[in-house]
Amino acid sequence: MGTIVTIDVYTAAGVTDAEVAELCEQLDRARSVLHHADEVFSTWQPHSPISRLRSAEITRAQAPAEVAEVLERCATARDLSGGWFDPWAMPGGIDPTGYVKGWAAQNALAAFSAEYIVGAIVNAAGDIASLGSLRNGEPFRIGIVDPLAPRQLAEIVDLTGAIATSGSYERGNHLIDPHLGCPCARAASASVTGPDLGLADALATGLAVAGTPGLAFIEPLDKYEALIIGFDGSRRCTEGFPLAPHQGTLPH
Amino acid sequence: MRRTPIVIGGTVAGLVGVLAFHTKSAPLSLPAAAGAAPAAGSAAGPGPGGTRKGASQPASGTSLSPSSAAQQASGVRTAVGPAVNYSYGVLSVKVTVSGRKILRVGIASIDDGGNPRSQYIDEQSIPMLEQQAIQAQSYNIQGVSGASYTSAGFAQSLQSALRSLSAK
Repeated sequence: MGTIVTIDVYTAAGVTDAEVAELCEQLDRARSVLHHADEVFSTWQPHSPISRLRSAEITRAQAPAEVAEVLERCATARDLSGGWFDPWAMPGGIDPTGYVKGWAAQNALAAFSAEYIVGAIVNAAGDIASLGSLRNGEPFRIGIVDPLAPRQLAEIVDLTGAIATSGSYERGNHLIDPHLGCPCARAASASVTGPDLGLADALATGLAVAGTPGLAFIEPLDKYEALIIGFDGSRRCTEGFPLAPHQGTLPH
Repeated sequence: MRRTPIVIGGTVAGLVGVLAFHTKSAPLSLPAAAGAAPAAGSAAGPGPGGTRKGASQPASGTSLSPSSAAQQASGVRTAVGPAVNYSYGVLSVKVTVSGRKILRVGIASIDDGGNPRSQYIDEQSIPMLEQQAIQAQSYNIQGVSGASYTSAGFAQSLQSALRSLSAK
């Protein structure tokens, strides 16, 4: 995946040394999950299982079990996105990257479990999986970068679960229209919240390509919400998108 | 395109209240932030590329921070985070804090290999990241969605720098 992941864990006050040691073990486990996902799914490592699958060196049946799992979930995400997210339509062969980063971060989050953990955030380069909340029980607040003025935040979200944002403003236009087979984005950025970061990531990728009409495929999905920021700065979102109230306007 | 291997910055923030923008920063809620946005800009502004630190800082810290005197008590401190690999090279981040308040964030060192595309991305991203770090505490947020590769390296070095400060 070639990216950096940061992990923050919020604990109840007064944790013991033993609990700190336990947390460090959980952190190690989360790290292993991410490294393993990178080894299996890195498309730039010629010998990774996914690369060998892309070059037809191995079949899907010969690949590690998680490859089949991810491809199955990608197929579900493709259906839920009305075909706008489609790892099978990428130039150069199947590329589940748009799903894997979120999936791996979500799995890494699952490493954290203890009664003294009140909340945890795994942030995979801007795609965020979370559990719990702040110490005071309030939800985590996550800023969404303004795609038209990336030094600013466009909105703030009260986050329960995960959020993924797709757009072409940092890496150039890497979003591929699966129907046309060429780079094309119809929104400056698309953010999707929901319980699972893998699916949110895939849906955000599809939505950035589909543009505003794509909101129609998010609306019926239980617990998933979306926000689109257009090239003209306009905002369109599904009914339940968890925008946090904020005083005044955010600079943009 | 995606060259570097995955690197993990694991931070157990809650344990020691490490991150100025991951906190306990109840004093920095949004009502204060409505006014704090320009203030944050001026915090980053006065020392363009400079290395403001030491005795001259507390005054500016006072004008910036709506929060308690207790924060001032620990004084102004600066730390440089470790050099971190990111997709376009290696960078490290310097941060200056007063108590738990971030006063200034900047790049301590960067080597993007001189590749024009890398330089372009860095030029676009880094001022944004400096601003985001300040904004993050102004808006009392725990993360930013939508940023990408450069930001992750930046955040990792920044977190380590903050951790070293909070370790006292």
